[in-house]
Amino acid sequence: MREQFEEAEDIGNAQTLALLGRAFRYVAPLKGRFAAKFVLLMVSLLPLLVLPFPVKIVIDHVITGIPIGEQPIPYPALIQPLIDLLADLSRLEILLWTIGAQLALVFLIGAVGTGGGERDQADAWLASGHDQATNTENAANAGFSMASGILGLFDLRFTIRLTQALNHHYRSLLFDRIQSLPMTAFDDERIGDAVYRVMYDTPAITNSIYRIVLTPLASVLFALLVLWVLQMQFGEHPVIVGSALGILLVVLLFTLPFSAALRKRSARSRKAGATTTSTLEEGLSNMLAVQSLGGEERERQRFDRDSWESFTRHRRQMAMGMIVAVTAGIPGVLVGAYAFEYIAGLVIDGRITAGDFSLLFSYFLIFVFALVDAGALWIRVQETAMGLHRVFFLMDLPNEADPPDAVALAPLRSAVEIEGVDVHYPDGTQALTDISLVAKVGEITALAGPAGAGKTTLAYLIPRFLRPSQGQVRYDGQDIAEVQRDAIRSQVAFVFQETVLFDATIEANIRLGRPDASETEVRRAAQIAGADAFVRELPQGYQTPLGRGGGKLSVGQRQRLAIARALVRDAPILILDEPTSALDPETEQALVRALREASRDRVVVVIAHRLSTIRDADQILFLESGRIIERGTHAELLQQPDGHFRRFVELQTRGAA
Amino acid sequence: MTQEPQLSLDQLGTGSGEDRLSFRLVLKLLGRCIPLLRPVRKHLLMLFLGFGTLALIFLPVGLWLMDAFWTRVLEGKPLTGEQAWFMMLDPAVYAAGDALDPDARRAVLRRVVVMSVGIAIVTTPIGMGLYYYQVWILQRVNQILRLEMVDRLQSLSLRFHADNQIGDAIYRMYQDSAMVTQLIDVLVLVPVQTIGRFLFVLGTLAFFNPWLALAFGLVVPPLLGLGAWYSRRLRVGFRNAREKNAALTSRIQETLAGIKVIKAYGAERFELERFEAASHGAFDAAYHVRGRLFGFFNVALFWVTISALVLASGWFAWKTLEGGSLAVPFLGFTAWTLGLYNAAKDRFSQGVGNLRHLVRTWGRTQDIAIGLDRVFELLDREPEVQDTAASKPLETVRQGVRYEGVRFRYEPDRPALEDVSFDAKVGTINAIVGSTGSGKTTLLALLLRLFEPQAGRIVVDGEDLRGFEVASVRDQVAVALQENLLFGTTVRENIRYAVPDASDEAVREAARVAVADEYIEKLESGYDTMLGERGTKLSTGQRQRLSIARAVLKDTPILILDEPTASLDAETEMKVLRNLAEWGKGRLIFLITHRLSTIRRADNILVLRDGRIAESGSHDALRNQPGGIYRSLVEHEEGMALAAAGGGGS
Repeated sequence: MREQFEEAEDIGNAQTLALLGRAFRYVAPLKGRFAAKFVLLMVSLLPLLVLPFPVKIVIDHVITGIPIGEQPIPYPALIQPLIDLLADLSRLEILLWTIGAQLALVFLIGAVGTGGGERDQADAWLASGHDQATNTENAANAGFSMASGILGLFDLRFTIRLTQALNHHYRSLLFDRIQSLPMTAFDDERIGDAVYRVMYDTPAITNSIYRIVLTPLASVLFALLVLWVLQMQFGEHPVIVGSALGILLVVLLFTLPFSAALRKRSARSRKAGATTTSTLEEGLSNMLAVQSLGGEERERQRFDRDSWESFTRHRRQMAMGMIVAVTAGIPGVLVGAYAFEYIAGLVIDGRITAGDFSLLFSYFLIFVFALVDAGALWIRVQETAMGLHRVFFLMDLPNEADPPDAVALAPLRSAVEIEGVDVHYPDGTQALTDISLVAKVGEITALAGPAGAGKTTLAYLIPRFLRPSQGQVRYDGQDIAEVQRDAIRSQVAFVFQETVLFDATIEANIRLGRPDASETEVRRAAQIAGADAFVRELPQGYQTPLGRGGGKLSVGQRQRLAIARALVRDAPILILDEPTSALDPETEQALVRALREASRDRVVVVIAHRLSTIRDADQILFLESGRIIERGTHAELLQQPDGHFRRFVELQTRGAA
Repeated sequence: MTQEPQLSLDQLGTGSGEDRLSFRLVLKLLGRCIPLLRPVRKHLLMLFLGFGTLALIFLPVGLWLMDAFWTRVLEGKPLTGEQAWFMMLDPAVYAAGDALDPDARRAVLRRVVVMSVGIAIVTTPIGMGLYYYQVWILQRVNQILRLEMVDRLQSLSLRFHADNQIGDAIYRMYQDSAMVTQLIDVLVLVPVQTIGRFLFVLGTLAFFNPWLALAFGLVVPPLLGLGAWYSRRLRVGFRNAREKNAALTSRIQETLAGIKVIKAYGAERFELERFEAASHGAFDAAYHVRGRLFGFFNVALFWVTISALVLASGWFAWKTLEGGSLAVPFLGFTAWTLGLYNAAKDRFSQGVGNLRHLVRTWGRTQDIAIGLDRVFELLDREPEVQDTAASKPLETVRQGVRYEGVRFRYEPDRPALEDVSFDAKVGTINAIVGSTGSGKTTLLALLLRLFEPQAGRIVVDGEDLRGFEVASVRDQVAVALQENLLFGTTVRENIRYAVPDASDEAVREAARVAVADEYIEKLESGYDTMLGERGTKLSTGQRQRLSIARAVLKDTPILILDEPTASLDAETEMKVLRNLAEWGKGRLIFLITHRLSTIRRADNILVLRDGRIAESGSHDALRNQPGGIYRSLVEHEEGMALAAAGGGGS
């Protein structure tokens, strides 16, 4: 079934676009906040317009001492009223006022000039390593502002919250989807891979949205602002603007052919990361086996290999990015050199001063970088496209979500019927053939048979963990194929062969069966399951935290807690898959009596090898190779001279003797 | 000898939100990581040489070109002879006279542009290549640290693993260990660069005007104050964020590991709510430290440094306004002019910029330190069971195993085993019987040295087990576990898990002994069938037989079967036991089981009750012991069998 989770190494450009479109649809609930972020972006960029002026005022009117109003180039109408306020002041006063204004700007927007050191941009980027997972951790909490100071701080916090809200939304969505995958589908999937998808692939969605909407918007706006300042100070220079646009064109032309290659590298990097997570998770889950079988060296080598592979894949992805940068960069540098020579030519011609050169050229560079940033949009999206793909892939797997017309279900009153059911596994093997049975309320139905006969598979049909390929499963005559999932599950309590306990208190573990069960009901269930005695011996009793997987308890103790969990659920259908395999005879007998008691107003289905567990069943179904080959009561079945069940019993009690 | 385990020690830090570090400890922690760089020190040297060579070759050329551009092209001064030679221009024209004419300036400009572009085209790929190399080196360091963590996790006892979350370990392995890649940056590069530049600026200013230097130096105390004030708060915040994110990872892992039960009990909504709470917790913690603390810290740094710059610039402007000459020529200026105003402002800006970068890096270093602290928290955990210098390998087991007054407790007030003594000889089958939780599995875990006895000792061939190397002890013992833990690889690889180089025939033979060969051959790809992560493709009975095959293949003098046949039907069980009895001749076999038909075959039976050995002896001896536990067990089972036979007969 693993093949189900294998996905293509690359997706086309069209599919990438479709994925992005889909990512956008999920943003709808947050569109108000995105609009607010857009406004913040504008607000944080606009002050840049006035930033060149304080320095200019100091130089022109303080140091050089040109009286206000006599400077060659008039101030823009926008700030003229402010300039007028300074008109009658002395040079020192103008200086002091300007310093005051600058300090206010520093405080409010965190900028005092247009140069790099004089302008701050708030961000919350923390150190990360050279691997996909740590980079993603930053992306999941990304925040940025084009400004700093009070405004930038507000913008930063607002953006972090927006990013997190989106990520939380996607993570919850994916988590919910994974939970509703059919039980058999998830069986083969790797837990580590799913952890990786939820933690490290979902932030790709937010990342893509920022990259597509906000970053280019900010870049283009910024570029236009710089252009405006540039033209205001230096007049029209088509060559400069043309060169910048030329570089943009070069970036577009030279990066686009790489999109497929980048996607592929990113896909491999993510996949290798997920594999490493799986290896680690598996090794830790199986620590008992690793240590007792001396598998440490093996696990270490496996981890060494997988972990290094993920580092390598990440490095290759980075290298691919560098190759793209160099390929697009060289023609870009040539065009830039042309602009450089042109601007220097202006100095030689005496049209601008040497001091103006650095200003003009730095404006040119800022302008180019902003444009390139917008132009690299598509290529940057590629790195996250595969993350999107991995998230949506899992979301799209067939799951148990109810169709809109699913019906509700009344509590079971008479019987569960299975009629003419076949079950095929996805790989085509037939697990069950022509199964029919009626399990009545008030009766115990036992499933017996050799290992691998299909007993568990049959039991899985009843709560619809598995859907039949053919035939029907009915509750009181209602086919459950179209019934709401929760309506079915709420009627069933299932005790699995392998006990699963959670890292919570004993009480919480039992109460999982029915969250609103009273304390008395929890104790009662524990008593019946034979757990009460040992639980009360624990120092913290029912409040004892179990630790991961209930690791501090013995297998038999864990089994009893699982049974208590099923009993407290008080559901009309109780299914137990080998509930007594690790129980000693005393506990087992107590349990069998309890089952008898419970079966009075319930359907009880029990799978067991132990004769003592199934002897008292009202009907025993004996399975072999996916078929029911014998059925009847214990006494009836033993009367068949060459019966399979009879042989089964004889082997069990007398041994090989 | 008696050493009561302290449970609280087993748990790694979670959700404490405390600050265990200080300025000194942060530096110590970073210093502790330096040995991790040892294995790559040659590469680091090469890397520095590479960057150094690049800088040595191209920095002078770059400076030369800069000079050619600014002084010659823009200002029109003639080239020096060397410059002309270097640019392949005629010195008679370009290095003569007082000024260059516009055409000559254009010619020099063209050379400057062509050479700069040439340098950029050559150095960019080289620089990227070196960066790639740098990433490779740092990844290596990270990998070394990750492997050390894996080694440590694997050597820690099961008690540790019962108390700690898998998700937390994953988080430590990924996010926390990655901080080691920042080591060179925060320890060497940033401090050297920023402090160096800062001191240079300070020196320049002091040489020129002590008052200016003093004004410049005044920026330092508030910055250091900010750094000091925030260090502790940042550390608490960063630790909290890391712990909450680790908890979120655990939440996901645990839910998925228990997905069957969650689905069966319709607990999806409940789990989703728990997940959402964990996710909120993680995001809130990250927001608090990134947005509130670290965000404000950075803005405050900017406020302090740039306000100082604004005030200093005002002062420079005022000096320029007043004019006046300089006592000492500064940056080539002799009087306050517009040029000096600009130059002084630039210097000052550069100086405070470096200072800000340094303090900001210190802020980020707190996060790095917290990550590394979490790594060392794991690495510093001493395994309960470890070799000493005196440990020697256990070659084989010839006579047998003896327990002498062994005691073990998982928790101080809950005895698991108390005063357990018995003798088990090679060539015998020893059954261990007892009710659920009576200590059967613990008893044998001690033999594997998964734990150490807290009192008494275990003796192998007359020598204390603790004197042998842990790995060699485990090499002498094969186990088929109660829980059949399989790995997500092929059937074949699962069987030869403990003996990776076993031949295919040996694998098949082991499968035959475990009565697994038949069903394996029926699988789609036989021995090459891939199993799911936890072997989920097979039924429990099939998995049980695989783990028996795995134990058989190990071919050791001691074999432990812990409820190996609980999920097998009677017929299969019979076959397995018959094969094992045949195969096990001359070995020491321990058997934990409830099934009478299995127990009966044992040479010696140990009956455990509440962690003590209540009875021991052969089947016949125990059976005839009046009022014995074993006797009542047998009677109970036989009664059942009689009833069954009776049912059959009537």
